[in-house]
Amino acid sequence: MISCGVPIYQFSVPKSSHIYGKFNPNKSNSRWGKKWTEIRCCNQRVGEKARAKKNYYELLGVSADSNPQEIKEAYRRLQKKYHPDIAGQEGHEYTLMLNEAYQVLIKDDLRRNYDASIGPIKVQFGNTVSGYSSWKGPLRPQALFVDGNACIGCRECVHHASNTFVMDEALGCARVRVQYGDDDQKIDVSVDSCPVNCIHWVDREELAVLEFLIQPQPKEGYGVYGGGWERPANVFVAAKAFSKQLKQQAEAEGQQRNGRVAVDEETPAQAEARANASMKIRMERFSRIWNNLKSFFGSNI
Amino acid sequence: MAEPAYTVASDGETTGEEKSSSSFPEIAIGVDIGTSQCSVAVWNGSQVELLKNTRNQKLMRSYVTFKDEIPSGGVSNQLSHEHELFSGAAIFNMKRLVGRVDTDPVVHASKNLPFLVQTLDIGVRPFIAALVNNVWRSTTPEEVLAIFLVELRVMAEVQLKRPIRNVVLSIPVSFSRFQLTRIQRACAMAGLHVLRLMPEPTAVALLYAQQQQQMIHDNMGSGSEKIALIFNMGAGYCDLAVTATAGGVAQIKALAGSATGGEDLLQNMMRHLLPDSENLFLGHGINEIKLMGLLRVATQDAIHKLSSQDNVQIDVDLGNGSRICKVVNREEFEEVNRNIFEKCESLIIQCLHDAKVEVDDLTDVIVVGGCSYIPKIRDLVKHVCKIEVYKGMNPLEAAVCGAALEGAVASGISDPFGSLDLLTIQATPLGIGIRANGNRFVPIIPRNTTMPARKELIFTTVNDNQTEVLIVVYEGETEKAEENHLLGYFKIMGIPPVPKGVPEINVCMDIDASNVLRVLAGVILPGSQQPAVPVMEVRMPTVDDGHGWCAEALHRSYGSTLDLVTVQKKI
Repeated sequence: MISCGVPIYQFSVPKSSHIYGKFNPNKSNSRWGKKWTEIRCCNQRVGEKARAKKNYYELLGVSADSNPQEIKEAYRRLQKKYHPDIAGQEGHEYTLMLNEAYQVLIKDDLRRNYDASIGPIKVQFGNTVSGYSSWKGPLRPQALFVDGNACIGCRECVHHASNTFVMDEALGCARVRVQYGDDDQKIDVSVDSCPVNCIHWVDREELAVLEFLIQPQPKEGYGVYGGGWERPANVFVAAKAFSKQLKQQAEAEGQQRNGRVAVDEETPAQAEARANASMKIRMERFSRIWNNLKSFFGSNI
Repeated sequence: MAEPAYTVASDGETTGEEKSSSSFPEIAIGVDIGTSQCSVAVWNGSQVELLKNTRNQKLMRSYVTFKDEIPSGGVSNQLSHEHELFSGAAIFNMKRLVGRVDTDPVVHASKNLPFLVQTLDIGVRPFIAALVNNVWRSTTPEEVLAIFLVELRVMAEVQLKRPIRNVVLSIPVSFSRFQLTRIQRACAMAGLHVLRLMPEPTAVALLYAQQQQQMIHDNMGSGSEKIALIFNMGAGYCDLAVTATAGGVAQIKALAGSATGGEDLLQNMMRHLLPDSENLFLGHGINEIKLMGLLRVATQDAIHKLSSQDNVQIDVDLGNGSRICKVVNREEFEEVNRNIFEKCESLIIQCLHDAKVEVDDLTDVIVVGGCSYIPKIRDLVKHVCKIEVYKGMNPLEAAVCGAALEGAVASGISDPFGSLDLLTIQATPLGIGIRANGNRFVPIIPRNTTMPARKELIFTTVNDNQTEVLIVVYEGETEKAEENHLLGYFKIMGIPPVPKGVPEINVCMDIDASNVLRVLAGVILPGSQQPAVPVMEVRMPTVDDGHGWCAEALHRSYGSTLDLVTVQKKI
């Protein structure tokens, strides 16, 4: 009996490969494989803080008006995919985020505070699209928006109102980071200073859609042709069309939801949350805990 | 990887294990080293199976005898008589002593065990020794546990026909992180790698989750969330958990535990039968040890009998002319141990309170462990929870089965029938924080925080131009820092000289799913985005033996010169 134990020793796998090997078993292989291309595309945007800090509702893939039962179920479903017991050490960071989101959303008072802090925009569009800029102070009816298509990257606005505008180095155009991040005078100066008049005052309700659309989306490629990035030539027209589409989609979804009993399929938000998770996980492999700490420090200032 | 494993499976004469060895070679085994009994279980490809030793026992006594040069444990050894266990050569109850210092009341309570437990009451590890040929041969709890684990490992290797490396161990809730390192050291001495350390009731919770999942498959149960209280009381420890279960996920809402167990019941009873027993045993001579052993066997036997009958006749000749001849009834037993039962009751109430669960919310209450046979225990649990005790589990095997399930899940095994579609979401049993605000314990990760966890708090200096701060990490619940378990300490140096209250000292704690604690500390000056000095990352615990002294020495040497205070977090 002992003798047949000997050959097994040489097959025992080193620990590291054992852990990574977990991503290969047939149950998850296809999923991780498929997402790979998307992850690479997203990498450019990874550096942005606003993007990395995800809305708790998006993270859990639930709608903003979901009840605690739905939140609980979504939390458990995601935990079952990403908990380090199942996904290995790579799931650590994502599970931390899940825990944080769950703890806030499951407690009535914390959730109310959180809802208030993210403002009505996120609540309204939180399900499918979200804005990129955050708000300083109370929400106002008008918001700032930079048309990235027109922007020539002159940095005038960043110079005059550095708390409001930032330069997106990857795209070469300015972007609103914090609505009303500076006092009104500074903002007015910066709007006026723009040589191409690409800074617009828009309705608060439109902001999220506009900000979503102005981000370049990966274009589908055919072999070596096509691919790359694109964004609508006229973002304002595109926003109108997109809003309409959203509305229709929401209606269709509403009908669908009434029709079926078990909700087994993933909602788009969940799919998005998942895509983001895999992106995040991939990121973690490089940056580790040290960098996280840096980002903590940054966010506290 | 798959190919050689397959070859192995076809080489051996195995039939039943074929499936498991071909799907994955490294299934971690579940081990429950109890204070009095231990067992090993493993996922065999379709279900959890308890392994038996050569004498066909699934549950083996946890002891090691130092008779000759080679010590032997309860897995392989056959006692000729129960009394052999009390000759002074057998060491047991090590789970109560491991990682404790000699000022600990639990260590003092162990001093009337029939071997040598010597204390100096200064905060160092107790001296433990076995009597071999009239010589006190010293040993340590880790060594005893390791001898034991080696026997368990060999037993499992022979039966499973493969080397065993990874284990999931069930541990008491109240164990400090320092005690966990001792358990890990014992495992390392036995050549085992600890994949997970699972608080015992959470292992039971996982088994419960699997059973509920199974019932849904059999169309007998509903898929809705079930909240259960798990009460696990063995010889050494009483551990509780509240778990919310749905879809194979056991989410631990709260944990509670104490070093209260059957051993305390036994000692109370021994004191009741022989009031001056403690003084009698102080000398630790051969005759006293024998006397202790005789009394112990008789009392243990009586307690076991009282679980099924109303009174019991105790008749034991202690050999020194005195003889105990007495009838003890159940009421007497319950009265003698009233404080223990009250403690159990308060633990249940505390655990439910911490979990924010009302008694009406409970779907099931599970009572496991050796003490679950005691009628009073079942009654008091029933009384507090107002529901009948759950019947679907073997009280002595539940924890080890849960550990084996976790072993399979954490090894990445999947089951075609979904029996391993499980997960435990653990919670921290004790708060972890640092010493600040004078001599206060400031928790950074509070008790019952979902794991993995990461929390941070901002502190600042108390003196002007303070260039160094001392971070002293504790684990526990008490407000006074030194009453908690010290985990380690380190200094942040080179803080630029600025007035007090200016530097932001960010202390971040991170616990991953395998319960590794990292403490990170950095200094930020206002107006800067970058840490002023390199960030410190320390894996805890760092303290070793005699840790009771460290905090005192630090305080004596530095006073409050390196102190910290909390600051309100900026929003």
